[in-house]
Amino acid sequence: MQPDSESTISGTESSVAKRISAARKWALVHKWSSLVCTAFLLVICVTGLPLLFSDQIDEWLEPHAYEVLPAGTPAASLDRLTAAGRKMYPGQIVTSIGIDDDEPQIYVWMARSWAALKADPKSEHFIRFDARTAKVLEESKPAAQSHLGFIDVMLSLHRDLFVDLPGELFLGLMALLFVIATMSGIVLYGPFMRRLDFGTVRKDRSRRLKWLDIHNLLGVATLAWVLVVGTTGLMNELSTPLFGIWQLTDVRALLARWQGQPPPSPEQLGSVQSALATVRQQLPGKIVTSIIFPGSEDGSPRHYLLWAKGNSPLTARLFNPVLVDGVSGDYVGVVKMPWYLRALEVSRPLHFGDYGGLPLKILWALLDLVTIGVLGTGLYLWLSRRRSPIERQLMELENRPPAVAGAEIRTAE
Amino acid sequence: MKLWRWPLALAALTVFGLLCALLGQGGIWWLLSWIALALPLIVICYYLCRRVQTSIR
Repeated sequence: MQPDSESTISGTESSVAKRISAARKWALVHKWSSLVCTAFLLVICVTGLPLLFSDQIDEWLEPHAYEVLPAGTPAASLDRLTAAGRKMYPGQIVTSIGIDDDEPQIYVWMARSWAALKADPKSEHFIRFDARTAKVLEESKPAAQSHLGFIDVMLSLHRDLFVDLPGELFLGLMALLFVIATMSGIVLYGPFMRRLDFGTVRKDRSRRLKWLDIHNLLGVATLAWVLVVGTTGLMNELSTPLFGIWQLTDVRALLARWQGQPPPSPEQLGSVQSALATVRQQLPGKIVTSIIFPGSEDGSPRHYLLWAKGNSPLTARLFNPVLVDGVSGDYVGVVKMPWYLRALEVSRPLHFGDYGGLPLKILWALLDLVTIGVLGTGLYLWLSRRRSPIERQLMELENRPPAVAGAEIRTAE
Repeated sequence: MKLWRWPLALAALTVFGLLCALLGQGGIWWLLSWIALALPLIVICYYLCRRVQTSIR
């Protein structure tokens, strides 16, 4: 099928017109999605930097010192820790226990009552124990009274702008716009770079062209990382509603028998240490990281809910909820997690960059800086935009003879 | 297509690097992951620095 010359010309013209009209639409998508999310994304990128190194910063700001004990010193019984907690705060209840799998410390969380905690979720406070000696290392004030640390402020700016769920959903929307902006940017890379070699930076023409080229280079070289961190960030912002859906459906169905019943009183409660021992025996190789006490909104009215994870790099990200009867101490079993929560769990390391040692975190930080560069150059390009409509700019790109394209100029120098 | 050769290669490298450390058991997989994720950054530096060199000349 060899078309004659005339139809070739008109065919080319109409295909150019089509291409320009498509590019114009994508340019509009790129412009508006970017404009709305850029300010928030800049905050997210900047606060993400200290969050990447939060472990190191925390350790530096508030170093945790531990008694040096012979390796293999057995851990103190959790029953001893909860008894100590109840003695320190008479009349209060234990709400959950956090077991650090990295440092020898155990957090015992307490509140005045389940009703009081429901009314004011920030009234919870913790006692931090040495996991081996059961000595008290730290006592916190309720979250409502304690001042926010540096990392807390960074995290809130990064995740919810200090307003919990509405903030999470809002920043989730910004993340969605950012992903759309990235994808429309990839589409626009085609027409803008059609006549240029990869990596061309036209420093010899206008300042705007130079920054456009840098914007394109930074963006296109990091696009896969940006899309991965952007979409996993979006998923993380949806974690509250996703866990809520699971609680309202699967978990509620599973616990229907006990729903509405008062939780066992502290006197009725079975040993939490034996609940832990039961799970360790039933699920060898799994590491229990937290225990939610019966009565918690995040757990069961009747059972201890233990979160257990695997010990390989991937399964260490997959937490399984395990139920143990809170009175009799009988093992109930592992609660199945739906696929969307599994996806959320796997997405977390891909957002945090915390799964490949310090060098991976440093690379994450550098890629984050490149993203700040893309946002900054994008903002500059918009602020210094020419008054000429996008159609004319694209037309110029189409009509520019190959000789003026950047590659040739560069080699001619 | 020539236009997409570099972007696609860098994207594939990035995905490889991201999965390497996630699925591999430390050691060599971490090293591969660091190299794969450093390459897009090195490519950026190369093209940005090249600009500086030509302007000096």
